[in-house]
Amino acid sequence: MKDNKQKVQIEVSDGAAIPTKKDFGLFTAWHITLIAALSILLYLVIRYPDPYLDILEFVSDGIVVTFEITFVSIFFSLILGLLTGLGRLSKNKCINLIASIYVEVIRGIPLLVQLFYIYYALGSFFKVPPFVAAVTAMSICYGAYMGEVFRAGIESIDKGQTEAARSLGFNTKQTMFYVIIPQAMRTILPPVGNEFIALLKDTSLVSILAVGDLLRRGREFATESFAYFETYTMVALIYLLITLLLSKLVSITEEKMRPYDN
Amino acid sequence: MTTNNYIIDIQHVYKFFNNLVALKNISLQIKPTEKVVILGPSGSGKSTLLRTINRLEKIDRGKIFVNGQDITHPKCDINKIRMEVGMVFQNFNLFPHKTVLQNITMAPIKLKKIPENEANELAISLLKKVGIEDKAHVYPGQLSGGQQQRVAIARALAMQPKVMLFDEPTSALDPEMIGEVLDVMVNLAKEGMTMVVVTHEMGFAKEVADRIVFMDAGEILEQGTPDHFFNNPNHPRAKQFLSQIL
Repeated sequence: MKDNKQKVQIEVSDGAAIPTKKDFGLFTAWHITLIAALSILLYLVIRYPDPYLDILEFVSDGIVVTFEITFVSIFFSLILGLLTGLGRLSKNKCINLIASIYVEVIRGIPLLVQLFYIYYALGSFFKVPPFVAAVTAMSICYGAYMGEVFRAGIESIDKGQTEAARSLGFNTKQTMFYVIIPQAMRTILPPVGNEFIALLKDTSLVSILAVGDLLRRGREFATESFAYFETYTMVALIYLLITLLLSKLVSITEEKMRPYDN
Repeated sequence: MTTNNYIIDIQHVYKFFNNLVALKNISLQIKPTEKVVILGPSGSGKSTLLRTINRLEKIDRGKIFVNGQDITHPKCDINKIRMEVGMVFQNFNLFPHKTVLQNITMAPIKLKKIPENEANELAISLLKKVGIEDKAHVYPGQLSGGQQQRVAIARALAMQPKVMLFDEPTSALDPEMIGEVLDVMVNLAKEGMTMVVVTHEMGFAKEVADRIVFMDAGEILEQGTPDHFFNNPNHPRAKQFLSQIL
């Protein structure tokens, strides 16, 4: 059997380094970084509880907010991404054009500018809470990127799969949801995981909208205590630890998603 | 309109790929239980013709009736027609994310709303028929090419089609696996299935075909019984084709 199908890997470019199986040895960059970051954090907190433990306590609710924004935004951006991806593949010229323009526009505007635009510019017409504005902007922005990931994933599935499903009598929609998308998920998962981590890091941008995320809480602490070095060291270490753990989680999920591989 | 005796009635069909004529004034009528084998050099339009029967390939001119229904009509519900026309592909095209059993039961469950346990029983009986009931719970990736193709045949049969289309079913197989797939097809023929087969297996064509259709450059040049076609074909292209392969 020719197995030139289904070996497609989507290029991973931003987000974080997701460890692949061949890096799974004991001493990888991932392990070293994790151990180092964790040791420094613990050392500082235990050895110098003032100010490091205070910082940790002060920003802990910010960590929760960061995760909230991340999960809500991921949820909506996945839905938006699936719709966009399908739209970009649609034979309907109108739908196709709308999806493509959306992707072009969003990819061409920096996220920070989008955040300003939704909160301040559109905010002069519809006043929304900063959290809602933040999640809206993140979802719209990442929806466009997810759209491209979904499109590439769906396009990577062999045309024969569609033909086989159609020849059995499945219509276009059934073919997409029963046959194509479940297979595309495998190809899509690594880049989606990557976008997920990139999104988490980008949530730091929402701190400018008066959303009390990790960075915002850190800034509040720093301006009061003037302990800039200590505060931002802690903030950076926390982001790093979260990203490292998430990237591991993504790679484990990825491995688990391969029941029919051999 | 069509006379109702034919299960497949292809009338003056043309198909163009850009400026190339892929099918040129093709007319072909097939009766229920008839086995038609389409032969011809590669690029002659055999697969294209086969794929027009369930509209995987759209035609530019002419009419095709399947089971009395005009599938070229814009109002035709092609999905309904396709449920009655099984198709087997050169590259099997099994669904790799489903087990063998699920590959077979998926369409009956989702499209014919057959209860799952009934569909499973049907699938097991079909797997017995193609000789691999022990592989019901493995994924297609773990099967050999010959086994995959037999599953693909079972998957098509699960919809209880009136016609089976075979598009070079043994061309992607290693030589030692061709026999097991052909055996399944021969048995299917003996049971009275209507079959349209594009193949390069001359032995199969001689044994099973009621009629051989010879195509070249998008045209049907000769048709007849295997005896006629293999022993004294009229058309010089057919003679040349046979001299090259036999």
